[in-house]
Amino acid sequence: MSRSEIKVYRNLMGENDLWAARTRELLQKRRLLMLNLIGSPGSGKTALLEAMVGRLAGKFRFAVLEGDVETTYDAERLARLGINASQLLTGGGCHLQARMVHQALLDLPLDALEVVVVENVGNLVCPAEFDLGEMGKVAVLSVTEGEDKPAKYPMLFREAKAVVLTKTDLIPYLPFRMERCMEFIRQVNGQVPVFPLSALKGEGMGPWIEWVAAQRDGLNKEST
Amino acid sequence: MHELSICSALVKIVSAELQRQAPSAKLLKAVVCVGDLRQVIPETLTFAYETLVAGTSLAGSKLEIRHVPVTARCEKCGWEGALRENYFICPKCGGHDLDLLTGRELHLESLEVDNDEPK
Repeated sequence: MSRSEIKVYRNLMGENDLWAARTRELLQKRRLLMLNLIGSPGSGKTALLEAMVGRLAGKFRFAVLEGDVETTYDAERLARLGINASQLLTGGGCHLQARMVHQALLDLPLDALEVVVVENVGNLVCPAEFDLGEMGKVAVLSVTEGEDKPAKYPMLFREAKAVVLTKTDLIPYLPFRMERCMEFIRQVNGQVPVFPLSALKGEGMGPWIEWVAAQRDGLNKEST
Repeated sequence: MHELSICSALVKIVSAELQRQAPSAKLLKAVVCVGDLRQVIPETLTFAYETLVAGTSLAGSKLEIRHVPVTARCEKCGWEGALRENYFICPKCGGHDLDLLTGRELHLESLEVDNDEPK
């Protein structure tokens, strides 16, 4: 037997990253902002989108790409509010991949949009590993999940461009301490902006909407 | 279970590289590097690999996973080194502005082949 070693250096995310790069180029050309919302099932991602509809309406035209394992419930929820929402079903897959998102984007009326929000499959682990070509990943964490999630799922919170802390109206009923949660977030990402809010009551939505608007305005400046 | 989609990319790449660099050799082992920041479970990755290569010309080959620790450089004081698990704060100055040097790897490093055995 003659053994030999062949040196190779090939990125395993190569194909996904290629599609992500294509998406990034497509978005940049059209000055479209794309955000990738990542959080546990039930963390309030769809409720956050519902609360964003009315508040963004006067500012930007936006569309939602809904990632789910099964059912079109979420896209229907958003469509009832007049949002352009497409459902991406992974059929058992735990995350969206760049190719699916790229193809879904091509089906949208891109010239009539300024912001696209992708709601990833509810999961704190897998979606964090896949670049979709977005401007930024947004970690959505609800106060009911506990303060220590950022330390337990560091990849997502490290990569996130923003953290939205949802369901703050429930804090009075929980042993949740905001300071402690902030410490855990700072421990993995010292600079990320954090937006505590209640999508249900509307408290704290203002600064979050301003941040989204600022990201979109920033794109305009960069390309002029 | 994102290990399965990572692994199907891996098997595709392994087959293509083997075909290109040593088409008549038998694959003994594929070596992959996985950064510790990646949330890849080694047992799941190995299981996915064995499942995907079963019944193909790569059947019987092993998957070796090399872990790459998370290391960083502090932008404030210039410290460089390995980070405590899930703790992205400079151990020297307490600064938060850390540049990750390693820990996000996910690549095929090498292939070990037997040149004698026909495929």
